[in-house]
Amino acid sequence: MLRIDCPNCGARNAAEFRYAGEYNPRPTQADDDEWIRYLYLRRNRMGVQVEWWYHRSGCGTWFLVERDRRSNEISRIMRWQPGVAETGSLSA
Amino acid sequence: MSGRRIEPQPGETIDRGCTVRFRFDGRQLEGYAGDTIASALTAAGVQVLSRSFKYHRPRGLLCGAGHCPNCLVQVGDEPNVRACRRPIEEGMEVAPQNVWPSLQYDAMALTELVSRFLPVGFYYKTFIRPAAMWPLYEHVLRNAAGLGAIDETTTVGGDFDKEYLHADVAVIGGGPAGLSAAVAAVEQGARVLLLDENKTLGGHLRFSGDGDDGRTRVGAWRESLGKGGATVLTQTAVIGHYQNHWLSAVRGNRLYKIRAAGVVVATGAFEIPMVFDGNDRPGVLLGTAVQRLIRLHGVAPGRRAVVVTASDAGWDVATDLVQAGVEVAAIADERPGQHADQRIDTTETQVLHGHTIGAAHGRSAVRAAVLVPVDGDGPWHTVDCDLIAVSTGWNPSLELAYLAGARSRYDEDLGEMRLQAVPDGLFLAGRVAGPGGLEDDVRQGDDAGHAAAEWARGGSKETGTTAAGQRTPAAPTGGRSSALVAAPPTGHDKRFVCYCEDVTDVDINTALLEGYDRIELLKRYSTLGMGPCQGRMCGLQGIRHCARDTDTSVADTGRTTARPPVTPVSLGALAGQRMEPVYLSALHDWHVQQGASMMIAGPWLRPEHYGDPVAEVGAVRQTVGLIDVSPLGKLQLTGPGVATMLERLYVNQWQDLRRGRVRYGMMCNDEGIVLDDGVCARLSEEEWYVSTTSTGAAGALEWMEWWRQSGWGEGVHITDMTETFAAFNLAGPRSREVLQQLTERDLSKAKFPYMRARRAEVAGVPCLLLRIGFTGELSYEIHCPAGFGRYLWETLVEAGGSFGLRPFGVEAQRVLRLEKAHLIVGQDTDALSDPIAADAAWAVRLDKGDFLGKRALTRVSSEGPRQRLVGFRTGRRVDALREGLQIVDAERRIIGWISSCRHSPTLDETLGLCWLPADMAAREQSTFTVFVAGRLEAAQVHHGPFYDPEGARLRS
Repeated sequence: MLRIDCPNCGARNAAEFRYAGEYNPRPTQADDDEWIRYLYLRRNRMGVQVEWWYHRSGCGTWFLVERDRRSNEISRIMRWQPGVAETGSLSA
Repeated sequence: MSGRRIEPQPGETIDRGCTVRFRFDGRQLEGYAGDTIASALTAAGVQVLSRSFKYHRPRGLLCGAGHCPNCLVQVGDEPNVRACRRPIEEGMEVAPQNVWPSLQYDAMALTELVSRFLPVGFYYKTFIRPAAMWPLYEHVLRNAAGLGAIDETTTVGGDFDKEYLHADVAVIGGGPAGLSAAVAAVEQGARVLLLDENKTLGGHLRFSGDGDDGRTRVGAWRESLGKGGATVLTQTAVIGHYQNHWLSAVRGNRLYKIRAAGVVVATGAFEIPMVFDGNDRPGVLLGTAVQRLIRLHGVAPGRRAVVVTASDAGWDVATDLVQAGVEVAAIADERPGQHADQRIDTTETQVLHGHTIGAAHGRSAVRAAVLVPVDGDGPWHTVDCDLIAVSTGWNPSLELAYLAGARSRYDEDLGEMRLQAVPDGLFLAGRVAGPGGLEDDVRQGDDAGHAAAEWARGGSKETGTTAAGQRTPAAPTGGRSSALVAAPPTGHDKRFVCYCEDVTDVDINTALLEGYDRIELLKRYSTLGMGPCQGRMCGLQGIRHCARDTDTSVADTGRTTARPPVTPVSLGALAGQRMEPVYLSALHDWHVQQGASMMIAGPWLRPEHYGDPVAEVGAVRQTVGLIDVSPLGKLQLTGPGVATMLERLYVNQWQDLRRGRVRYGMMCNDEGIVLDDGVCARLSEEEWYVSTTSTGAAGALEWMEWWRQSGWGEGVHITDMTETFAAFNLAGPRSREVLQQLTERDLSKAKFPYMRARRAEVAGVPCLLLRIGFTGELSYEIHCPAGFGRYLWETLVEAGGSFGLRPFGVEAQRVLRLEKAHLIVGQDTDALSDPIAADAAWAVRLDKGDFLGKRALTRVSSEGPRQRLVGFRTGRRVDALREGLQIVDAERRIIGWISSCRHSPTLDETLGLCWLPADMAAREQSTFTVFVAGRLEAAQVHHGPFYDPEGARLRS
C-alpha cells in the first residue's frame, strides 16, 4: 500500500486518505470551451501528474501530490497555495 | 508403494512417544505428534489422497512442499487443506476430495475414457448453445467443477482476524540465507521480522546436506535472533507484496499486514516436476519430498525406488534412500558420461547415464519405470519399482520479488529464471537469486541483511541495488536443471504439464495450433497455471512448451504476470472479522430499551420506528413528537470570511442574513448538481452554525474543506460538531408548551418566530434552539452537548408525557415531510438533479456573485429543465405504488420514475414525489400512469405541499 506524507501528520498508509483526482483549478474567467474542459475533461497523464489528496481518516488536510502514475513515485507534496498552476509538476 | 516408518532420524520433527489417532476416508489410522497428514498416511501405506480436477485420476503426494494440488484433502468442514503441511491432530476427520462415490471407484473418472472428445477449450466451445440449455449445463458443470465441499450452514474454519506489524527489515524465508540476513540486520540494530512458511526454521538444512552441522548453525542463528529481539513467525505464508513494502501474510486464521522499510527475499527455490507419460501416478515423488519424508518424519515412501535426475541432487536423494533402507533399483542421470557417486553401490543399483524417464506404469500406484535414452537412440529399460523419485529441475521462488517489481530473464545455461533488476529497498539472498553453495547463501544473506538495515536507516539507493541479487553463478554441476522440455514420449499414458487443471502437453499443443500462441493467451485458454499451485509446478514447463512449439527462445517467450495471492488463501482470512465502525447517537441505548427498530443510515444506526410509525405520525400532527436527529452534520463556522465563503458554496444568499436568523441552504457543484442541503444559522456577525444531511455529513465537510483550503477560506475556520452535539426535534402543535416548561427563554411566537435561532438553557443544559421543521408542524430543533443528550431527552419525554408526547423515528419523519412535499437530497435527487429541476428554484440566487454551479444553473434557468421533480396524489390507498417504479406513456415508454411514495395517514391517500417531463409536471392534476408489475396505476400531478399548503402550522 502506498505511503503518503501528509503535510500535517507525516507518512501514513494511503487507506487513510481520499484520492480526489488530478489538480484541476477552477478558472476565474473562461469561455465555453475552457469551461467544458474544466468541468468534464481530464488530462489523464501517463507520467507525472499533480493531484489532490485529502487526509480523511486523519487531520482533514487537503494537499497536492506530484506523483508518477507509472511508478507511483511521489516527487513532491505541498499544501495548496495561491499561484499553483496546472503544469504537471509542482514548482516551488 | 508400501510406506513405512524407519529408524529414528537425527533431525526428525516427530515425537515417537506420542501417538495421534485420526481418520482418513473412514479408516482409523495412527501417526505421531509432528506428523503431517501426508507423512502419517505415507507411513500407513496410504498412497491415493485425492482425485484430479478434470479426469479424476488418482493422485498422491508429489511435491511435499505445499505447492502442488495432489494432496489437497478435506479436513472436517474445511476444504483444500494441504496434507503435506497440516499437522495431524487427535480425532481429525480427513477425507479425500473430488471423489464420487468413493476414492477407489470414482464415477467421474469415466471422463478420462472419453477424454479424446474433451479437448482443451471443450467447455467454452460446447456449452454455449443453445442458450436456453445453459441452466441445465450450469447445474451439471457446477457439480463437476471446483475443489472440495463447503458446508454453507457453518462458518468454515472458525474465526478469523487481522494483525498489523511494523519492521525495519522483513526477511521472507527462514533458510540459511534468510537466517543469516536476519541476524545481520539484528546486529545492525534493526527491528527484524522473519517469516517462514514451515513449522521449523532452517529451510533445506532441515532435510538435506550434513544434518548435524546444519542444525548446529540454525540453532546459533536462532539464538542470535532471540537475543536481538527479532520477531520470528513460522507457519506464516507471505501472500503479497504491495507498494512501499507492504506485505500480506497468513498464519492459520490470521491475516498479517506488514509495513517494512526494507525487505529481504530469501524464498529459495522449489523443485519442479518433469513431463513424462503417467507423471501423475501415485508413487512419483519429487526428490525433496522423499528427503522430507525420510529426514523430517522418519518415513520411507517405498521399498524399491528409481531415481531420475539431471544433477548431483538426485544422487543425494538416492543416498538418503539407501540409508533409509530402500532399495534403489536404478538411477537415470540425464547427463552423459560418468557421474558415479562413491555413496552409491553400483553393483546394487543400475546407473543409466544419458537416460531419463519415459513413463511410469501403474494406475493407483507405480509398478514400474520405463527409462529411455535422452537422445531416443537405444533400448528402453523397464525397471520394477514402487517409488519414482524425480529430481530434475528447480525454479527460484521469485513470485514475491515479481510482485515487488523485479524483472527476470530465462537463463539458458542454468535452465531457470534469473533476476535482472530489483526495486529499491528489496534485497535478494540465497537460492532465489541463483544456484550456489551453502557458504554462498550465508555470505549473501549476511550482505543483504546489512544492506537492508542500512536502507531502513535511510541508506542511499546505490546500496540498495548493488547488494540485491548480485550473485556469481556457481558451477552448473551443482544445480543445473534438466534441459529437456519433456521426456521422449513412450505413448503409454497422458503427460501432465499442469496437475491442478489436468492440462497435458497435447492440450498445450492444440491450444497453440488454435492460435493461442502467446504465453498469457495460452494460460487463459488452457487454464494452465490457474489452479491452486498458481503455476509453480507448471509455469516454467508451460513456457518451455510454448517456446518449443512456437520456435521462440524461452527467454523471449516471457512469463505470465505474477499476481497476489502467491499461495492460496481462504476467503475467511481475507475477510477477517466484521469490523465496520458504526456511529451511535448519545441516545442509542434509550432507543434500544424502548424497543426501537434500528436501521442503517449512512454510518449511523437510527430508530426507524418504535413499533407504530402511523401512530408516531399522528402524535406529531395532533399533539407532539420527539425525534433524535443527532446524525445531522453539524458544523461551526467562525471568522470574518464565513458569509463570503457560504455565498460561493451555496446557491442561496447569505450576506443579508441577520443575527439570530436561520435560512435553508442548498449546495451544488459546478455542474449545477445538488450535493447537499441543510440550514445555516447566523449566531453572531462572525459565528455561524450549519447543518448538513445525515448521510452526507462527511462528504459535505470534505467538500467545504476542499474549497476552504484551496483559496476560498480566507478568514474562515470550520469545526465539525457532528459527534460533539446531540440534536432532537420536538415537533407538533403542543411542542411550545412542552419546551416552555423547561426554559426561561420566552418561546412565544413574537419573541421566537419561525426560522430563528436562539441560545437557551433547557433543563439547565446550554442549548441552541432552531425554529425550523421538516415535519411541517411548529417545531424546535434542540442542539446540546452530547454528554447531556440522554438527560435532556429523558427530561423532554417526561415533560411531554401529559401532552401525549411520542418519540418518532425516521419512517414517521419521511411520511411527515412527504406530506409537506419536502425533498430529501439523495432520495429524490440523483447525480443528474439540479435545484431548478428539483423544484427548489426559489433557493437559487442567480443575481448574486459567482458561486459553485452558477454557470450551469444560469443555463438551466434560461432553457428550462427537461425533467422536473413534482408531487403526485392518488386520492385513495394504492399499496402497489412504490419508490423506484417507472412512469410510462401510452406506448409504455419510460418517461419518469417515483422517487418517494408513502400512504399518508393524515390525508388517507397514497402520495409522493416523482420525476416527470417538464411539460407534464407543469400541468396540475394531469394524470399519468405508473407501470406496476405488468399493470398500470394512475396518479395525478400535484403542486406544492399536500398538507397545510399555506404553512400556517409551522409558523404558528
